[in-house]
Amino acid sequence: MGNSNLLEMIRPFHDTVITPPEWLGKEYAIPSGASPITDIHGTTVIAVKYREGVINVGDRRATANFSVMYDRAEKSLPIDDYTLLAISGSYGRAMDVVKYLRHSFKYFERSQLQPMSLEGKLSELSRVIAAGLPSALQGIGGFIPILSSYDVAMHTGRIFFYDGMGARFESTEFGAAGSGSVQIRGVFDYIVKTKKPFHEMSLEEALREALIMLDIAADLDAATGGWAKRLPLAKKIDANGIADIPEEILRNITQDINSLDA
Amino acid sequence: MVYSPFDFNEAVSHRKDYVEDKLSEGSPVVGLSFSDGLLLLTLRKSQRKIFEIYDRLIYSAIGNQSDIEAIRIGAIDVAHREGYERSPDDITALRLVGFSLSPPLKKLFGDTLNAPAVIRAIFGEMGETPNRDHFLILNYDGEFSQRSDYAVVAGTWEAEDKMLETLSDYSTECTLGHAIQTALATWAIGALEGSNKRKTLASDEKQVTTEIHDSQQDEFLANALKTMQLEIGLLDRRTNRESKFRLLTSDEIKREIGDTLPIP
Repeated sequence: MGNSNLLEMIRPFHDTVITPPEWLGKEYAIPSGASPITDIHGTTVIAVKYREGVINVGDRRATANFSVMYDRAEKSLPIDDYTLLAISGSYGRAMDVVKYLRHSFKYFERSQLQPMSLEGKLSELSRVIAAGLPSALQGIGGFIPILSSYDVAMHTGRIFFYDGMGARFESTEFGAAGSGSVQIRGVFDYIVKTKKPFHEMSLEEALREALIMLDIAADLDAATGGWAKRLPLAKKIDANGIADIPEEILRNITQDINSLDA
Repeated sequence: MVYSPFDFNEAVSHRKDYVEDKLSEGSPVVGLSFSDGLLLLTLRKSQRKIFEIYDRLIYSAIGNQSDIEAIRIGAIDVAHREGYERSPDDITALRLVGFSLSPPLKKLFGDTLNAPAVIRAIFGEMGETPNRDHFLILNYDGEFSQRSDYAVVAGTWEAEDKMLETLSDYSTECTLGHAIQTALATWAIGALEGSNKRKTLASDEKQVTTEIHDSQQDEFLANALKTMQLEIGLLDRRTNRESKFRLLTSDEIKREIGDTLPIP
C-alpha cells in the first residue's frame, strides 16, 4: 500500500505545465456554402548549410489568398540558443507553435537542469504538426516548418524538414518550404552538383546562393515577395549560437544580384 | 484540549527557532546589479545553488534542499504557464513571489500539523537598465521584501546586517569583474560572521568583539575558495542570445578578476 502511494507521488518526466495549444487536433464545423476562411500565410523560407553552421533566409511577405497582407513578416524565429524555426503556411498557427516550443524547450531545460536533446525537440515539433492535420485538411491552419540547429556534440549544422503529417527528414545540404519553394527545388541540387556542397561554402558564398534562389522564387511565385522595397531577413547558427546577418551584408549581396539582371 | 493564544505564540516561536537554527549553517548568497547584467554569487559544498527561473529571473536559496527544490519547481511552473498563456513581459519577481510563493509558505508556517519550510530565498529580476533591476527576498514564513542594486541572504540576521552594511556604498555602475570582487568580499563577511557565531556558541564564551579585520577576512576567503566551490549565476544584459542566463565557468571568472584570488 505504502509503495503504491509513493509511486503515485513520483512525477513522470513528461508532466509539464506547458500544454500544446488547444486548437491541436480540432476540427471545425464549416457550414456548407460558406466561403472559405482565409488565414494569413507566410511564403518562402530557405535553409542552407555553410562551413560553420546553417543559414536561414526568408522574404518578408505574408498573404491571404491574392492579397498581400504584410511586408515585414519574420519567418525565421529562434526557439532557443541553437534552434531556428523557419515557417511557411498559416502564420497564426506557426506563431502559436513557436511560442509553445519556446516555452516547452526552455521549461524542460530550466526544470530538468539539462537541455532537451535534439531528438526530443524534433519529435515535439512532429507532434504539434501532426495534431494540426485535421484542421489543415479543412483548409485552414496548415503550416510547414524547417528546423535548423547547431549540433554542439557533432560540431555541425543540421537541417530538418517536415511534411503535413509531421514526418521528419534530415537534409544533408538544404531545405526550403512555402509557396515559392516548389519552383526552386531542383536548383539546390544543381548548385550542389555543379558548384560545391553548401556545407563546404563560406558564409558569403552560401548566403549569396540562398539569396539568388529567393530572388528566383520571387520571380516565379506570385506570393513570394521580392526585395525591391524591403530586404529579406537572414540569420545564421554556428557554435556561438544564433545571430542576425547584418543588413549591410544583405544590401551588398542583393545589389550585386540585381546587377545580374541588367 | 483548548487551544489558547498563548499556545499559538509558543508554537510559532518554537517553529521560528527550529527553522532559524537550521538556516544558520547556510552559506550566504550575494546578489548584485551592475552595468552589463545581474549576478548571484555563493560558495557551495555540494549541490548547485543558483538557478534560472525564467527569461529574466534568477534564483538561489539557503535551507533544506527539498524546500529549495520545491520553491524552484513551483516558481518555474508558474512563470512558464503565465508566460506561455499571456506574455513573457508579464512575469515579474514581485508577482511571482507576492502572489504565488508567499501565500503557501505563510500557510505552511502557520500549520502546526506540518513541518515548516526551511528556506530563505533570493530572486533577481533583470530589467533594461540596472535601475530597473529588482531583488526579492522571500522568508520561510512567507514574508518578503524588495530591494534594488544589491541584496543578500545569510544564515543569521547579524550576518545579513553586516553584509548589507558593507554594500551600502555599492554603485551599480561597474564592470562584471568589480561586481564579482565586491560580491566575494561581501560573501566572506557574512560567512565569517556566521562561523564566528557558531564558534562562540560552541565555546560558551561571552562574545567579546564582533570586529572583523581585513586580513582575517582575506585569509578566510582564501581558505573557503580552497575547500568550497565558487558558483556565479549571471543574467547578461548585453547578449543577443535567446537565453540571458548562464553559470560562469572558472575560466571566465579568472579572466574577470585576474590573479587577485586563488580561484581553483
